[in-house]
Amino acid sequence: MGAENSEKSAGSSRLKQNYLVQAWLVLLLAVCFGSALAAVQMTLGPTIEANKLNETLEKVPELVYGQETAAQLQNTQQITIAPRQIEVKTPVKTTYYSVYDTAKEGKRSGWVVKAKGQGYADKIELLVGLDAGAEKITGLFILDQKETPGLGNKIIETKWRGQFIGKSTLQPLRVTKSGAKAPEEIDSVSGATISSDSVCSIVNITLGDLKDKLK
Amino acid sequence: MAEGPTPMERFIQGILPENPVYRQLLGLCPTLAVTNGMQAALTMAGAVMFVLFCANVIISLIRNLLQPHLRIVIFTLTIATFVTIADRFLAAYLYQMSKALGPYIPLIIVNCIIIGRCEICASRQSVFTAGADAIGQSLGFGLALGSIAAVREIMGTGMLFGFRVLPTAWPDWGIMVLPPGAFLTFGLLLGIVNWISIRKSMKS
Amino acid sequence: MNYLIDIVLIAMGAALINNFVLYYFVGICPFIGVSRRVEMAVGMGFAVTFVISIAALLSWAITTFVLMPGAWISTTVGGFFMAPEAAAKIDLTILCYIVYIFAIASSVQFVEMYVRKFYPPLYKSFGVFLPLITTNCAILFACLTIMSNVVGVDNPADAWDLGRSMTLAVFGGIGFTIAIVIMAGIREELMLCDIPKPFQGAAITLIVAGILAMSFMGFTGVDKGLRKAITSVAAPQVASADLPKPSETWNK
Repeated sequence: MGAENSEKSAGSSRLKQNYLVQAWLVLLLAVCFGSALAAVQMTLGPTIEANKLNETLEKVPELVYGQETAAQLQNTQQITIAPRQIEVKTPVKTTYYSVYDTAKEGKRSGWVVKAKGQGYADKIELLVGLDAGAEKITGLFILDQKETPGLGNKIIETKWRGQFIGKSTLQPLRVTKSGAKAPEEIDSVSGATISSDSVCSIVNITLGDLKDKLK
Repeated sequence: MAEGPTPMERFIQGILPENPVYRQLLGLCPTLAVTNGMQAALTMAGAVMFVLFCANVIISLIRNLLQPHLRIVIFTLTIATFVTIADRFLAAYLYQMSKALGPYIPLIIVNCIIIGRCEICASRQSVFTAGADAIGQSLGFGLALGSIAAVREIMGTGMLFGFRVLPTAWPDWGIMVLPPGAFLTFGLLLGIVNWISIRKSMKS
Repeated sequence: MNYLIDIVLIAMGAALINNFVLYYFVGICPFIGVSRRVEMAVGMGFAVTFVISIAALLSWAITTFVLMPGAWISTTVGGFFMAPEAAAKIDLTILCYIVYIFAIASSVQFVEMYVRKFYPPLYKSFGVFLPLITTNCAILFACLTIMSNVVGVDNPADAWDLGRSMTLAVFGGIGFTIAIVIMAGIREELMLCDIPKPFQGAAITLIVAGILAMSFMGFTGVDKGLRKAITSVAAPQVASADLPKPSETWNK
């Protein structure tokens, strides 16, 4: 009886030892990998943050000043871009807009607003460039879209986006399929009316929300 | 007495005879998801090669310390770490590609190819064999992804790697770069590969 | 009201419009491997839905309360070692993939124990699938989508709360179930067909899946139209410039 008991306790302590012995490898690996990941985060973290910011920032001069002027100004580094968040409260919901206040030599030259909305297939994210008084659109750039390739995809083309340059913000824009004549009309991409209309309505909603706040 | 296939055998087997996608039918999620362009497909193959090689080497180094019921935990921990490193690396140096590949890089963690190779080869054989196995299997994976991506990109956009290869008169088959095109292309190519291997086995 | 609209649209999106299997290509391995008979497919679908819900709950909680910069636990624990402002900046998201995969493995273990104890006959019929679910891409994909909507947003007020995250997870699982059951039904019929030898098995399943994906493409744009319809009923003072003229929408 006594021999059995001591055998059992020896067995259970061997069992406990076994679990500890086994767990040490997992713990050691966890510590090693954890430190490796911390090192990776410290070295690569800043680069990744910079990538995320630059994605938008490098488009801002082009959207406010137009392509040629922006290229000239880039070299002389006179532009300052200040990112801000503007909160817009409507009875339906509260939206936050990321806005980039662009100034040249201390004087405001324009704004770039990042806007998001539902497209035909998935969300569309775009940047709208405005003049200093938010009265005219100076540029449009599609940051992210998943529209139909070959059809709705064409909203990213420079020629189609160029239609928005110079449009006044006083009236909402409308999409037409039969050739834009009136100042507030935009030609739709042929075969992709809904994608074109989504872009227009995102721009309209954004301008409607922010026009009075961008002074 | 040699334990199992030699490094050279593991390497050659991984490319065609034991191709992870066409013969073993593993890792199908990235195969269908990222093959709408050659660049994305080859970046994914490169990431898988990095993760598979590092995981195989590390597991092979500690193979004598592995306990039977904790080994899956250790495999998973190792693979998840290297996938995180690969993902951060891509986000830092190939940001646009990282955005295009999106959630499919982290999904390499649950890619059956890697856990399978760790279990079958790395936990039993030496470092050199495990390394050769990793490179062979990832070359096979890259070959499979590349073949599907080539078909989808050429027929869907008329371009390969961004260079126009078909005349502009080609009406781009948009469906090929959309999800149905992925399933159809892979299904047909798999049928062709099966047909070739049936004929080979009939001849011998 | 707006919250409810959001939930309905996320649910529809996850289940039908952006179906996990037929649009995002996650969960393909069980989709091809387990879809031979309808009963097995239904069992697999429910098991995946159950595991996805628990895994999503765990990963949302861990992301919001531990991993995010400014999360409650990392700020409190870090506050013992450094100044509160520095502690609020501790960003543990580099560990998110490791944490998620272990959360998923634990969820699978939990579900297996629960089913084995309380539903033994159920366990006998599909208990063998449960360990396979750990390597199911769909679950990790749901966790990653939730993470990108919690951590990856520009503005912290836009971050998803528990309701939206759980909706995505549960309806993503339901979408997976729908796809796999349809495929099982088709494959049962295919067994009576004369399929050429090279195409038997996985190849014909993939081709059928391609046609199925094409039919699901018909759901594209439904959530946009639904959102416009519901919003115009709920809040009739929306600017008329937003509503497309009927001729423009139907002529796509």
